[in-house]
Amino acid sequence: MLDRLQHRDHTLRSVSQACKLVSDRVESPEWKEFRLQVVSAVSEAFNNIVLHGYEGREDGVIEVEIRTGPDHIDVELRDWGASFDPNKIPQPDFDSLPESGLGMYIIRAFMSMRYHPGKKGRPNVLVLSKALEGPAPSRGKT
Amino acid sequence: MNLSTSVGDSGITRLAIGGELDVITVTELRAEIERVLANRPPRVEVDLSSLRMVDSSGVGALVSLYKRVRAQGGEVVMSGLRDQPLAIFRLLRLDRVMIGGELQAGKQTA
Repeated sequence: MLDRLQHRDHTLRSVSQACKLVSDRVESPEWKEFRLQVVSAVSEAFNNIVLHGYEGREDGVIEVEIRTGPDHIDVELRDWGASFDPNKIPQPDFDSLPESGLGMYIIRAFMSMRYHPGKKGRPNVLVLSKALEGPAPSRGKT
Repeated sequence: MNLSTSVGDSGITRLAIGGELDVITVTELRAEIERVLANRPPRVEVDLSSLRMVDSSGVGALVSLYKRVRAQGGEVVMSGLRDQPLAIFRLLRLDRVMIGGELQAGKQTA
């Protein structure tokens, strides 16, 4: 199963490159933080699909669509594995220094998340969105 | 991931982790943690200055190391966190144990 996660690296490289399209403030502290958070969140989301959505399966498809606009990125991941209820995933108990259950917290902390479970052959759809914030003006590329 | 371990005369173990620590590479780290724990080190110094990226699985392994060494009566000192790994540690409130820019996991302060 972990072999399939190697495809994640291609996805993350694409996401990282796409982050450069959202602003001309590339390499600013705000942009570096933006890219760091987007790549971290997408990495966790990809892991969750492979390890949980496709758990017990030898193969599975993940479609990734990246949309960029001025100071904004959407990353949509579609899969045909098991769906989940985001509202039933508990918050980590940080006082106990948890060793697991942290991925969804990272995703939600770093990006806005919309999730639509798949039905009748239609895929689960996870849309992660983030706006680049900061004081400097930007000329995002489309 | 780059992983190197050395043991000093007093049993202090130095563990350097570089590159990417994620759900793929964490298996190697967990095996190394088992070897480290077998020696019941009095102190483990974890050098994370070359760590470029960590995910929740990697964080879990580092927290496990911290807990288990302390359970053996030892101390853990983590240092060198920066960029993405530092952001993740801060988000997950592991910087509660940061002292002077270093994570000193055996000596928590407010």
